[in-house]
Amino acid sequence: MISAQLAISKARRDLTLGAIVRWAMIAAAVAALMMQPLIDGAGVIGVSILFGVGALWMVLSFRSMRGSRVAADSSTFIAAGQFELAERSIAEALDSFSIFRSVKLLSLHHLAALRHAQNRWQDSALLCQAVLMQKPRTTSGLDRSSRLLLADSLLELGDLRGVHENLVRLYNQRLTLREALNLLVVQQDYLARISAWEPMLWQVNTKVQMAELLPTLQSARTQALMALAAKNTGRLDWFDWLRKRVELLIDVQHLCADRPMLSELWKQ
Amino acid sequence: MSEPSVQFLDVPTLLEKSQPRGSGVRFWQLAGMFLFIVLLSTYITSRGAAAARALSLASGMIMLLLVGAMGVISFTIFRRTQEEHLRLEAIEELIRLRRWTEAGILLQQMLSQPTRTSHARVGGLIFLASVLARYNRFDDAIAVQEYLLEHFQLDGGTAHGLRLARAMAMLREDHLFDADRAISDLRRDVARAGRVMNEAAAEETNEVQETEAPQTLSSGLALVEIYRDVKTGHPTEAIATFEKTLSSLREQLGHRVADAYMLIAKAHDLLHQTDQAQSYYESATRLAPAIELHRRYPETAGLAEKYQPAQAPGEAA
Repeated sequence: MISAQLAISKARRDLTLGAIVRWAMIAAAVAALMMQPLIDGAGVIGVSILFGVGALWMVLSFRSMRGSRVAADSSTFIAAGQFELAERSIAEALDSFSIFRSVKLLSLHHLAALRHAQNRWQDSALLCQAVLMQKPRTTSGLDRSSRLLLADSLLELGDLRGVHENLVRLYNQRLTLREALNLLVVQQDYLARISAWEPMLWQVNTKVQMAELLPTLQSARTQALMALAAKNTGRLDWFDWLRKRVELLIDVQHLCADRPMLSELWKQ
Repeated sequence: MSEPSVQFLDVPTLLEKSQPRGSGVRFWQLAGMFLFIVLLSTYITSRGAAAARALSLASGMIMLLLVGAMGVISFTIFRRTQEEHLRLEAIEELIRLRRWTEAGILLQQMLSQPTRTSHARVGGLIFLASVLARYNRFDDAIAVQEYLLEHFQLDGGTAHGLRLARAMAMLREDHLFDADRAISDLRRDVARAGRVMNEAAAEETNEVQETEAPQTLSSGLALVEIYRDVKTGHPTEAIATFEKTLSSLREQLGHRVADAYMLIAKAHDLLHQTDQAQSYYESATRLAPAIELHRRYPETAGLAEKYQPAQAPGEAA
């Protein structure tokens, strides 16, 4: 199993190395252009250097793309519960050299997702923090995915202040539907832990419709938390409606084992 | 003279027009061009000092232009590919939010021109099949699904999902013989996949694994079989499949388990077991709107007159 610390230090080293190689190639290309008249009057050497740099860039880009594809495979393995295969893919991607930052950051993010799926919250949080420290581009969506994963891991670790800080940052960003759904799951869980029952039911219709789009466990858990909020705020129609929905979706005992506070919903 | 009318989401046209264009320039062409430039410059240099100086100046300018042009071309290609990816994501979101018309319009735009990548085309066609099925154009949906299964090497999960959707579309179109054959193929594929999984697990744990029924492994398959049995007047078999697979149906289908509850309400209704039919009808409508379920399974529309749906809270109603 890849250690989180080792993966982070390896990724940092590769990011530095990748940046050096990238800048060295750019410098060589610029030098070939500028110094061309001094080196060789005909420009053959300049063109050759440029062509060499271009070819090297293409080879390294191709290798980087392959690393990115290997890392991307891991998300399919994680979704299918094949953690061994996912671990192998990520290790391969982390070991391969890449001139692009995004490939290394993506590999670290996939490792964080794997540790999250394995309920290794501490490792997952560490890896997400390492990704966010590198300030990935907002357009890639990696920062938002890592922050969501971090918020969820911190929630499991009981670090409510950390969850709040990360949720606030996510509220300021434009999210995709998938991200908005994941945010709903973390947000409702967080609000339930701080007993903020009223905010949990703001725009209840929209939240219920969104919860319907989630996978079974997350959908049932989110609706059960909302049922708990409805019970605690005296909205018994919603309490009864949501609780019965949850019963149709999942084995209640399994749900209560996952979130003990929910057993209050089925107390006689 | 009037323009020929263009049908919305016309399958043959979209299949033809969405073919990605091949790359205009190949690597060997670039290498050949480079070799030609080197030979030409060597020849010109050998003609004298003045020619060499002129060549040096010209080649510097050309190189700068080439570098600039390559940068612009790469950036444009990257941006267009990213735009296509974003458009595909937007279509997926619209389908999940059941905003079918907008999804259809975006698909029409996307597939009416060559896609940048084959991956985007496959994604677009998969979404196209879902939208066509939503508009009850099941024959068109089947045509797209068969095209995808025939022409592309899809991963196991995607191919299975497509085969399930095709079997469901065949049932909706009353192609019962084809549907039955498609279901048998699906059963065989799932059973084979289950055996492979068991063997892998047995190797890891050194314990012989119990073989699960194909319908338990794939709830989609269980749902298709339940629908077939209800449609062909075999309610007892439908109820038996439902009872055997309920826990996996709930786990794998999420809120779409409402479909199974609705079909089982119909099965009990066919057996004149009105109490059970009422109970399952209520369960189904607690999870999904009755109107949507009746649209998906027109055979269940008559239940609306006989049974009471679940009462939603005021704000949800």
